[in-house]
Amino acid sequence: MDDPFRRPTFGSAVFYEDPFAALDWLEAAFGFERSLVVTDTDGNLAHSEMSFGDGYVMIGPIWTDGVASPRQTGGRNTQTVHVQLKDGIEAHHDRAVKAGAVITRPLERQFYGDLTYCARDPEGHVWSFGQTVAVVGRTEAEAASGLKIDGWFETGPE
Amino acid sequence: MTGSKILVALRIAAPTPRFFRAFTDEIGLWWQADGLFAFTPGPPGRLTFDPKGPEGRLIEEKPDGGRFEIGRILTWEAPPAPGTAGRLALTWRQASFAADQETRVSVAFDPVEDGTRVTVEHLGWDAIPISHAARHHFPDGIFLHRHGSFWRRQLAGLAAVSARR
Repeated sequence: MDDPFRRPTFGSAVFYEDPFAALDWLEAAFGFERSLVVTDTDGNLAHSEMSFGDGYVMIGPIWTDGVASPRQTGGRNTQTVHVQLKDGIEAHHDRAVKAGAVITRPLERQFYGDLTYCARDPEGHVWSFGQTVAVVGRTEAEAASGLKIDGWFETGPE
Repeated sequence: MTGSKILVALRIAAPTPRFFRAFTDEIGLWWQADGLFAFTPGPPGRLTFDPKGPEGRLIEEKPDGGRFEIGRILTWEAPPAPGTAGRLALTWRQASFAADQETRVSVAFDPVEDGTRVTVEHLGWDAIPISHAARHHFPDGIFLHRHGSFWRRQLAGLAAVSARR
């Protein structure tokens, strides 16, 4: 049996001034679920992990001068976490909007065959979401985008 | 019960009543003894709820016939049907705790579209000083993180047992 807490090779950590509020909001807006939350004796968040599909993200406090929330940097992001859905991206988008997400890129079909949208959370982190809805060949993608594309994978919806 | 808390959660593809039974009736099958967080000195025993139900206790039955009471049931709400939620809560102590020391564990069995989401919360480690043997002198955050890993191993075992049936 697979380890149900298996961590994929990549995982991202995202930092918040109010990480407990972030856990609640990310659950309500994006459907991420807490899988591990460690709260220390002073009631501060020590470590947390949220899962979604077969991915996970760590939600942390501003625990050192080396990290920041976009709320502290004039809204600048130094990374965006992308989440690839298998299905239901329209409903996912609507749920996010209902929970107060600010849509920074609307839900639209991309030339490579994915439906995508981007949303900003209450502290200014931007998250992107995508779902493959059509199989697009390299020639077609190059024609649609005007780009030369190397390393194209001929993949489609599972 | 003050600040510290460990939360571990997992989805398991089994309906809530089945999963509640697996947690309570079959804990002897899936519980994995852990050297770092042993309840009692000596060879580990088998866990059992005795009696099962609101008046019950969680007991470690030692190989030599001894019985150690880990905790008393505080809440025992078995899900009445698939699609309904359940709750379990109990006190929790190791043999090395003083008489007035205990922690608390609560378990939520919530229906989700593909089965059950189980959430274990373990509170009250604030009552056990860092210098206590049960904490192995780990600093607070490290101890709680290790104890979170301990609960993850337990739920992984539970998931394996639930998936086989």
